[in-house]
Amino acid sequence: MTDQPVSVNSAAKKTRFTLEMFLRPELTLIIVIVAIAIATSFVNPNFLNIGNLTDIGRAAVIYFVMACGASLLMIGGGLDFSVGAVFTLGAITTTMLLQAGVPWPIAIVVGVFVGGVAGYLNSQIIQKLHVPSIIATLGSFYIFTGLTIQVTGGQDILPLPRAFQVLGQGAIFGIPYVVLYAAVVGAAFWFVLEHTPFGVEVRAVGGNREAAQANGIKVERVERIIYILGGATAAFAGIIYAARVGSGQVAAGGSAVTLTVITAVLIGGVSLQGGLGTITGIAVGAVLLSEIDNALIVASIPPQYNTIIVGVILIAAVAVDHIRRQRLYRVKR
Amino acid sequence: MAVTEHTGTRVKTRVPALSLRNVEKAFGQVTALSCVNLDAQVGEIHFVVGDNGAGKSTTLKILAGMHTADAGEISLNGTPVHFADASDAKAQGIAVVHQNLALVECLDVATNMSLGAIPKRGFMLDRKAMEREAEAVLSDLKVRVGSVRTQIGLLSGGERQIVAIARAVRMNLPIILLDEPTAALGVRETAHVGEILQELRRKGKTVICISHDLDFVFKLADKVTVMRLGKSVATLTADQARHDLVVGLITGSIDAAQIEKRSHD
Repeated sequence: MTDQPVSVNSAAKKTRFTLEMFLRPELTLIIVIVAIAIATSFVNPNFLNIGNLTDIGRAAVIYFVMACGASLLMIGGGLDFSVGAVFTLGAITTTMLLQAGVPWPIAIVVGVFVGGVAGYLNSQIIQKLHVPSIIATLGSFYIFTGLTIQVTGGQDILPLPRAFQVLGQGAIFGIPYVVLYAAVVGAAFWFVLEHTPFGVEVRAVGGNREAAQANGIKVERVERIIYILGGATAAFAGIIYAARVGSGQVAAGGSAVTLTVITAVLIGGVSLQGGLGTITGIAVGAVLLSEIDNALIVASIPPQYNTIIVGVILIAAVAVDHIRRQRLYRVKR
Repeated sequence: MAVTEHTGTRVKTRVPALSLRNVEKAFGQVTALSCVNLDAQVGEIHFVVGDNGAGKSTTLKILAGMHTADAGEISLNGTPVHFADASDAKAQGIAVVHQNLALVECLDVATNMSLGAIPKRGFMLDRKAMEREAEAVLSDLKVRVGSVRTQIGLLSGGERQIVAIARAVRMNLPIILLDEPTAALGVRETAHVGEILQELRRKGKTVICISHDLDFVFKLADKVTVMRLGKSVATLTADQARHDLVVGLITGSIDAAQIEKRSHD
């Protein structure tokens, strides 16, 4: 009689441990990343070259920077479909200013600012006109896309000053600058989310908006800020991308970027229902997406498999999120 | 129905800690409150009872700053006030336990207890202080919910209720409003909440509580205000508040005017 509860207990502990593993999105993703790396290196050992791994990191960076803003937004219960257009808007603003002879630091700041303004407009459409976020940002996606085409006449902006291009192409001790930017942005968002009262408020608003409001949290203010930050990071990512490729491309952003970013955020463990998610999860999610891109090229697998695999992983990630939530919200009897 | 205390031959009128005068509220075509009067004193447990739809929760939400009254006056210690929103009501000294508890399921106990008044160190979140405060309040109230790091979503309905009450107590504000605080509770937990309310009264807080549980009401009440169809029909003292009278007022089978007559008899 005395032995039995103990054994039951330890069995429960064991299941709990495996469940925890499964429920920690980062851990599951890291296992998937390692599995893909091993499988691909069998097909082509070059996959594990430092050069190739740096490429994976470099490609993950753009998504990661945007995903930081998008994840804070989605943890706070928001959704922004316009990020792909704001990405282009930021890049076009900065590169046009550069061509007009504006020094690069000012051009970058103005580009990021324009992204923030775009985010602010989104929040106002949602709050003042009471348009659901998915529709509001889909509408603004079209508007911003049209604006960039109108302003540029559909022409890419180049050439760009050398000093600006170095920002996107240079490296220090073999580490690309862009990876450093991503590290700084990631650290900043992680800090805000985990170590400031604002981060707690974002989770509260996303987790239960009415409860947050009833507790005296200024819900609309929190939402305004996260939309502004989402727009600013999207524009910043666009600017980094322009520096990396050496031109302000009108077709660089768009719906593909929007969908990839939202996919990275969801795979990274942010719940569409808000409240849950971590920046480390997003980082791992961005690396996984970029690894899949790269692995399929290295293993010479046709590109359509890329989208199929990403689709499967996205659905699996959200299904796991549902299980996670069910366990988290279960009322003990 | 001003609250007067008869001390010998002199009549001393205290300024109520919280007072509602002729408060009205409509939602579109629907009149929720047509005339609500209420006076609650310092160190008093004041119950608000009434049938569903009588306007109890609407009254409480106005006091919590979540709705704005269309007409009438709210005063704190005799000074007319206006609440812009929930944080404003809190800033003016009102803590609330909502009927739906207003807890965020994906956050832990300590975080939920600090929502709206998050401990800071500089501009940073002071998680240690947050957990320490939560533990202190919970142990003060003799509540055990396991770890303060437990997510609310993992707690039972009763445990959540207690956390919501503990959060309001932590605010340590002069007025505390509770909407059906025992709805999800068993007998023992209900008694526990009763003890918490008595402790608040002892500390000189003004406690305003909505409840359907009349046994709970009669056990603790200093005053009972009965609401019916958007009006406050009567306020009774603990001596006056008998079961049949209160039920009669709630259902409308006793007219409020009759109490005046009875008390004169």
